[in-house]
Amino acid sequence: MTASVVPQLIVSGALMGLVYALVAYGFQLTYATSKSINFGQGELVMVSAFVSLTLTKLGLPYWLMVPGGLLFGVLLGLFVERAAVRLALEQKSEGWILLSIILGLFFFSAAENIWGRDDQPFPTPISSDAVHLFGISITPLEISVAVGVFAIMGLIELFKRTTLLGKAFEAVAADRDAAELMGVSATRTVMLSYGLSGLSAAVAGILVSPITTVGPTMASVLVLKAFSVAVVAGLESGFGVVLVGLFLGSLEGLTSFYIGSGWREAPGLMLLILALAVRPTGVFGKAVIRKV
Amino acid sequence: MKRFFMTIALVALTAVPAFAGDTIKIALTGPYSGGSAPMGVSARDGSKLAIAEINAAGGIQVGDKKMKIEIIERDDEAKNERGALIAQELASMSDLSGIIGTVNTGVAMAGDKHIMEKGITKIICPAAGSMSMMQWVDRPATADKPAFAGPKDLSIFRFAADDGIQSAMVVEEAINRKYTKVAVLFDSTNYGVSGRDDMLNQIKLQGNKLEVVALEKYNIGDKDMTAQLVKAKSNGAQAILIWGIGPELAAVANGMAKLGMKEPLIGGWTLSMSNYIDNAGANGNGTLMPQTFIEEPITPRAKKFIEDYHKAYKVTRIPSPVSAAQGYDAVLIFAAAVKQAKSTDTHKIKEALEDLKEPVQGVIALWQKPYSKWDPANVDTHEAFRRAQVVMGMVKDGRVVFGNEADRQKLIKEAAGTKRK
Repeated sequence: MTASVVPQLIVSGALMGLVYALVAYGFQLTYATSKSINFGQGELVMVSAFVSLTLTKLGLPYWLMVPGGLLFGVLLGLFVERAAVRLALEQKSEGWILLSIILGLFFFSAAENIWGRDDQPFPTPISSDAVHLFGISITPLEISVAVGVFAIMGLIELFKRTTLLGKAFEAVAADRDAAELMGVSATRTVMLSYGLSGLSAAVAGILVSPITTVGPTMASVLVLKAFSVAVVAGLESGFGVVLVGLFLGSLEGLTSFYIGSGWREAPGLMLLILALAVRPTGVFGKAVIRKV
Repeated sequence: MKRFFMTIALVALTAVPAFAGDTIKIALTGPYSGGSAPMGVSARDGSKLAIAEINAAGGIQVGDKKMKIEIIERDDEAKNERGALIAQELASMSDLSGIIGTVNTGVAMAGDKHIMEKGITKIICPAAGSMSMMQWVDRPATADKPAFAGPKDLSIFRFAADDGIQSAMVVEEAINRKYTKVAVLFDSTNYGVSGRDDMLNQIKLQGNKLEVVALEKYNIGDKDMTAQLVKAKSNGAQAILIWGIGPELAAVANGMAKLGMKEPLIGGWTLSMSNYIDNAGANGNGTLMPQTFIEEPITPRAKKFIEDYHKAYKVTRIPSPVSAAQGYDAVLIFAAAVKQAKSTDTHKIKEALEDLKEPVQGVIALWQKPYSKWDPANVDTHEAFRRAQVVMGMVKDGRVVFGNEADRQKLIKEAAGTKRK
């Protein structure tokens, strides 16, 4: 038993860490193109999960419900961009900060009124009976979370690196005005990034809901941790968030076991402060070179 | 928002004063929507069942005439600020005989002072943490607070198993099952932390027979309990004593299943709520918690109550059987006080409640002098439940059944005994 304690803690923690990473990835996607992030990202996760649950309750089988939920996530991401971000960016103001927070609050209240404040179970065809690998208990459900996170992030990264549209991402990220002059529509690119960000939120929602249950507050803890992950990793690097997420998750598991469950949150916060003090752009961030 | 305006409209409609003296006005309050709704709705419906029975029999004998009960219903949505508003509204009604309700401690803390100032009789039912009564009790000075002297007279009563009885039973259960090593888990809310203190205190009081091998905390919203559970498991805990609220309890049960832990989960009555039972599914089987009523038709009285409830509200499972039964019995006790007071005056009803001459046969128990004259040094004067009226419940396939056969037999025997009398 004692021999497998450490790997068990690391694996269980790392799985939660992957979920933080996926939510953090949603921050990272939009920051790359527009230097803005959606502070209501957690609410996108939650609302997408609720919509998917409703689709399931309407009788849709799991494999039809998933694309439906994902499509809804994309639409929600686009809505956030249109309602909270676009005007603020055009006017070069920081208004998107408040607007995205307000939209998040709005989604939260809407969810409370539409679906109620109860936490509800989320049915899934994937088994939650533990299997034992090398002395570690892990459920197929947890494995599906890991697979899903890697799959969606891999696909989006592939898209960004290999397609022309993906190149537009990099162009707008590098220099919005220059990209516009080259015929890349910055507005469209930002839209696309918010759509993808919404997609990743929906994936997160659908993947974790069977484990966490669905409720209006389901993402409030997730999103805080995700924010730490995004800042520590740096808002530039897609795979940086995965590494930091894995690291933070396992660290949390080990801390609450060896130091005490009351200290669970401490290492993440210390990491955050350290990162901000030593590398303000994040561990995997690019140093800012500003020409005057 | 729409509901809010509708509530206002309803308030405006029902606020038209009825002719005083026609009816006995009782207000039922509680969360009828939102997360605590299973408790609020069950208590309200249980109370309504008792009221319907009383009214069908012509009402309560008040002096020389029979009077029917009129219900005033208010949904506090488990929100403290709404609870305060409703309390103010009810406190301003001159012809109100009493109030039965409240689930959430915060709602009681926010509203009861208005009711208490007017001296309106209120029975807190089916829940609200111990703080809802302890706020009226004398307290010695502490480092950050001056001494507090409770009111000499109090119109607030409580009809629920308090946290002290529950934690004593949790510890007792672990000892009875011959466990020697336990893990104590608690959430970081006031409720969880005070539950931890109560349980640790009880372990000491009951002779230190249990060794706490892991004392672990978790936060609201935590879903991964692996670290806490691995610690409990590797230190050899034979049972997990837990105090928490909401779906985190289910996360613990599901985490235990994942780690292959078969040890029982024993804790407060929150473990009997649907948000635990439904979210934990099969992993919740075997969980033990104190209950005041079990939805099993073991006595004729319980059978009739359960059947009536199912029929009246078209359900096959009472959302919260404990709340429903307590709501039912609270009305019967209140009605007995009205009869004894020979008046609908809320102050006279309070005095009658403090000195009920005749026993009241409820669905939970035979209530003999449930309350006595308020003493600010002794909260038990306004608490009806004692250890004897609480049994251990156990989750089995989505329902709560008797945890110990002895409890079940005892209730059957008692019911037979009262019938012979």
